[in-house]
Amino acid sequence: MRSRLAVLLLVALLALPMVPPARAQNALVVSVWGGNWKDTVDRVIGKAFTAKTGIPVEYEVGGTIDRLAKARVAKGNPLVDLNFTTTHVARLYISDGLYDKLDMARLPASKEIAKEAFRSDSHIGSWAYVYTVVYRPDLVKEDITKWSDLWKPSLKGKLALPDFDPSHIITIAALMEGGNEVNWQKGEAKLKQLKESVAAFYSTDAQSQDLMKTGQGPVQVMLSVNAYHLQEQGIAVKVVQPTDYPGVVGIDTMAVMAGTKKAEAAHQFINLALSKEIQTELVKALRAGPVNLGATVPASLKGQPGIFSSTAEWKERGYIMNDEARAKNLPGWREWFTANIVKK
Amino acid sequence: MSFRLLPAVAVLAVFAAALAALFRWSLLEFVPGSLQPGGLTLANFRAVLAPQYVGAIRDTVVLSALTTVLTLVCAYPVAYALARTASRRVRSLILVLTLAPFFTGAIVRTYAWVLVLGNTVVTWPVPMLFTERGVLVGLVHFSMPTMILILAAALSHIDPVYERAAASLGASPAHVFRRVTLPLSMPGIVSGGLIVFAWTLSAFPTPELLGGGKVKMIANVVKDLGLDSFNWPGAAAFALLALALTLALLTLVGRLSSDRAA
Repeated sequence: MRSRLAVLLLVALLALPMVPPARAQNALVVSVWGGNWKDTVDRVIGKAFTAKTGIPVEYEVGGTIDRLAKARVAKGNPLVDLNFTTTHVARLYISDGLYDKLDMARLPASKEIAKEAFRSDSHIGSWAYVYTVVYRPDLVKEDITKWSDLWKPSLKGKLALPDFDPSHIITIAALMEGGNEVNWQKGEAKLKQLKESVAAFYSTDAQSQDLMKTGQGPVQVMLSVNAYHLQEQGIAVKVVQPTDYPGVVGIDTMAVMAGTKKAEAAHQFINLALSKEIQTELVKALRAGPVNLGATVPASLKGQPGIFSSTAEWKERGYIMNDEARAKNLPGWREWFTANIVKK
Repeated sequence: MSFRLLPAVAVLAVFAAALAALFRWSLLEFVPGSLQPGGLTLANFRAVLAPQYVGAIRDTVVLSALTTVLTLVCAYPVAYALARTASRRVRSLILVLTLAPFFTGAIVRTYAWVLVLGNTVVTWPVPMLFTERGVLVGLVHFSMPTMILILAAALSHIDPVYERAAASLGASPAHVFRRVTLPLSMPGIVSGGLIVFAWTLSAFPTPELLGGGKVKMIANVVKDLGLDSFNWPGAAAFALLALALTLALLTLVGRLSSDRAA
């Protein structure tokens, strides 16, 4: 009897991680990054959504790949109804059939958004930013105004680059040599010249900011949102609007999970997130660019890198990579980058 | 099979299932830009034998060996003092200083080293941060408390009578240490060395933060492949390869150490 009880307890214990967390029955479950991202989405979109519809919002937070892995395991019976992720990672969700097609008739606010924010018929942009050159003028005694300045010998040992996704610098080097992200090999030799300049590689946003704060990587190819965050903390960093080639645009996107029973609510949430009013709040909260062209941008952010407020700015001040090419090339890029730039 | 063994079997079955999943994924074709793997292939194993991956394995083994030796050298005097001091106050002080790092967590400790090695506190004559040297310092510091406790336990089991006998027969303190204390503490050296070597082989946060992306150990490469390149089959193949190598190395080191201890 006691043995049987012990076995039952063990089975219950092993099955515990498989039990989904208790959720309010009618809640819309949104998957998003943790920390400031989740807090902002909840404060700006979630609360307004609940006030408008009466539907509570709950969150599943985690890193980009953790959430992707979970979604894959729960395919067909999703644990979340709506997903936020970067546009090229969204391609992986789509390739695995994890997203539903968006019903544009249920997204009237999408009529106001920049065409660059329509990433596919399954995912749509929520906000934008750029990867650009950011530096600390107190530690770098010369002006940096363009991408090609990164190759100056005087910056040797000062540069920090993201190694988890080197697509930005690879694309810029290719553009400098007359190529692009598809025929990126044209920039290989140019990139190799940058090797000696690199002080460190970072693999998370937090590391990037730490490198800038401590001065270990005072010149970086950096996410504009992180740079503005540092400025808010009182760290004097300069966010460069490069004059030779534009910053490389990143777009975070929203999508409705395939198999969700709350597709209607998920569409309502997306529509609200795309609205002028919410986009105006998102710009202020995240220091990211709005996708709604009618959103109001504060004067302090107007014209700053990654903040696009007109069709012309989207076109001229940002380079948007082909999502599919990026998703397909990223593993190869990382391999090449590790072998040729990271390796001693 | 005894019914009493069932809980252990159930737990082991979970581990076995995880290993089986790793093995299965390592044999599936990686399709860039897709999460859906292709058919069966051995290509992942060929791919992870590329120089940069083999280099990461080599660096891991070298760093683990150096960490083990340096930790042993640094920890032995502290462990000796801990085991032999007659003062309870001194013993308590050593214990507190030894155990304090345990309670701060690996990430916090490593971030502290980022500041220390990064010329913000001390100006180093050679670059330390984002080099193997810096990673080595972090790994040794991380391993010290465990090594001290294991060595102190081994040393406290040595009856001081043996050392006194050797000294009374005219052996110098250095001779006593080399011929009596050190051989008798060999079980602790072997256990501590094996534990430190084994866990350094799987070190992740220290090389990740102190290596600045330039020093890659096995766990960092697995993370790079799996989480950054979305190459789950490649990550599985590399993890399996590393696991096999780790087991082989530990067996070899264990055998050599046992022979030496005997």
